[in-house]
Amino acid sequence: MQESFLQFLGENIQIFLSYTGFANATPGHIVMLLVGLLFIFLAIKYEFEPMLLIPIGFGILIGNIPFKDAGLQLGIYEEGSVLNILYQGVKQGWYPPLIFLGIGAMTDFSALISNPKLMLVGAAAQFGIFGAYIIALQMGFDPSQAGAIGIIGGADGPTAIFLSSKLAPNLMGAIAVSAYSYMALVPIIQPPFMRLLTTKKERLIRMKPPRAVSQTEKIVFPIVGLLLTAFLVPSGLPLLGMLFFGNLIKESGVTRRLAETARGPLIDVITILLGITVGASTQATQFLTLNSIKIFGLGALSFVIATCAGVLFVKFFNLFLKEGNKINPLIGNSGVSAVPDAARISQNVGLEYDPSNYLLMHAMGPNVAGVIGSAVAAGILLGFLG
Amino acid sequence: MINKKIGVLLLLMVLFSMGAQAQLTTSVKLNEVLVVNEDNFVDDYGKHHPWFELYNNSAGTVDLRGCFLTNDKSDPRKYMIPKGDVLTKVPPRQHILFWADNAPTKGTFHVNFTFDPNKDNYLALYDSDGTTLIDEITIPAGQRADVSYGLDIDGIGKWAILDKVTPSTNNVTLDSNEKIENFQKNDSLGIGMTITAMAVVFIGLMILFLVFKQIGNAAIRTSKRNAQRAAGEGIAVSANAGQESGEIFAAIATALYEMSDDNHDIEHTVLTIRKVQRSYSPWSSKLYSLRQTPNKK
Repeated sequence: MQESFLQFLGENIQIFLSYTGFANATPGHIVMLLVGLLFIFLAIKYEFEPMLLIPIGFGILIGNIPFKDAGLQLGIYEEGSVLNILYQGVKQGWYPPLIFLGIGAMTDFSALISNPKLMLVGAAAQFGIFGAYIIALQMGFDPSQAGAIGIIGGADGPTAIFLSSKLAPNLMGAIAVSAYSYMALVPIIQPPFMRLLTTKKERLIRMKPPRAVSQTEKIVFPIVGLLLTAFLVPSGLPLLGMLFFGNLIKESGVTRRLAETARGPLIDVITILLGITVGASTQATQFLTLNSIKIFGLGALSFVIATCAGVLFVKFFNLFLKEGNKINPLIGNSGVSAVPDAARISQNVGLEYDPSNYLLMHAMGPNVAGVIGSAVAAGILLGFLG
Repeated sequence: MINKKIGVLLLLMVLFSMGAQAQLTTSVKLNEVLVVNEDNFVDDYGKHHPWFELYNNSAGTVDLRGCFLTNDKSDPRKYMIPKGDVLTKVPPRQHILFWADNAPTKGTFHVNFTFDPNKDNYLALYDSDGTTLIDEITIPAGQRADVSYGLDIDGIGKWAILDKVTPSTNNVTLDSNEKIENFQKNDSLGIGMTITAMAVVFIGLMILFLVFKQIGNAAIRTSKRNAQRAAGEGIAVSANAGQESGEIFAAIATALYEMSDDNHDIEHTVLTIRKVQRSYSPWSSKLYSLRQTPNKK
């Protein structure tokens, strides 16, 4: 009797142990857990995009706890599990437009409205997307996968998730993590190329102070902006529509509570859900592949191409501008839509060469134009390849 | 004021009805018909009967309950699709199949008429009012056995003899991803896509640039005119209003940035220029929670 009870107890403990993470761990899980920890470390120690890297890093930990599939609806890929339900916002692509709503409600387009020619810098930097697209094709990805990878060059996490969920859902985890990682690393990636491609004289260019923008102009901007861009690229409507709607509720002046919710609690909630689920979707079995490594390489390259394209375009544009109207090419990097980090880098690099030359306001122009540009580019890729 | 409210209400109603139209029964199309069923699809009783398929050509679910099917132009209400059957709901871009076996007692999807292979067969779908025609077709006589007659593209194509019989599924299915294959074949380097897409991005932002250049010019003119008018009225206006130097903006931006810095946020005594305002809401307004002062006359 006692012996059979002990045997029963032993068997149960053995079954229990077979369900633990220790029994099911693989080297892949360990690697991914280390990646998650690295993200959290970078976010806390160096403050690299902590709002994103902490949820993603912790999500990676959650997604890579090994367990035996016992039909308990635990994993993010198991239909009906809590994580799976939250993941639908990523999979079906409705988190990114909500993030764009918040971005619209917190973005001041004044710098762009006061000097609209800076929009073209935002357009030029989108070459990063298509440069990466060309290289991805040569590396053996099919056109829709290449398009999804290329969008990393837009330096816009929500856009990257939105497009990859439509064009290459199986690569979405790697693309999202790559996009957010490089956005965090913008201060390291961009400055060397900005210095390399500019002369000392160019770095000292002082730009005309931006004029004050009236409220009417600010109200007209999102309306006209939506009509023009969405008529041209209707497939970008979810992103463009929400971006400009968010901006209208900010600028209208009569929907302050809506704007505050959109740029505060709403975007925070969605950022938490998006970060944690994107992180959790990077399960070792799905994520640790040769393709992920290629995507990381292409992601870095796309940021470099975007930075160079923006800086070189400003230099080219300057050939046609009169003295006094010239643009400092150090704001060319801001054409990628990593708002406001890219603009802050323009400011910091500019201050290194002239401590009284403040480029922040000017750099915000191409920076916010980059948000519009990358949403338009995503719409084009979706229209062509979707 | 009341007129304004009525106007807004009417506008909303019109917009709503226009939006709702897209998901009404009018989106349903007759899609495929098999007049002679010898060795084809069998019904739920294991029998071969003529059948026809409807297709919901909209992005929303459509409920066909109460609509009418007929093979007789003079009798639009010949067969009413029964109400109360959950299966009469057709999901977006999907199909519903009816058996033309003249045996309505067999269930919702068995109509009270059949087709005659030796003559033209008329088939129509009417809305629930019995008078609004949604779709109709005349199937030519002499249909071959087990070959269906349908739209060559679901919901929108032309009626023709179909290559494949496809009950309850799409008339057209793709064996390959033509779009992607075309890109792989004709633009393997991605140059075409790059040129096209960059051109569209530039055109889009160039149009925005041109429009806002004009809007900006107009705004500057208006602002100057207002300044002149103000000067005429003796109101002091700074000569360089609207032309503040970059240093001022940079100083303000830096101050704002430092103010929002984490180090400052935790200091309770820090002075900020953040505006303190309370959100007004009728739910929180004290005024609404008080009784009205009695009005003595």
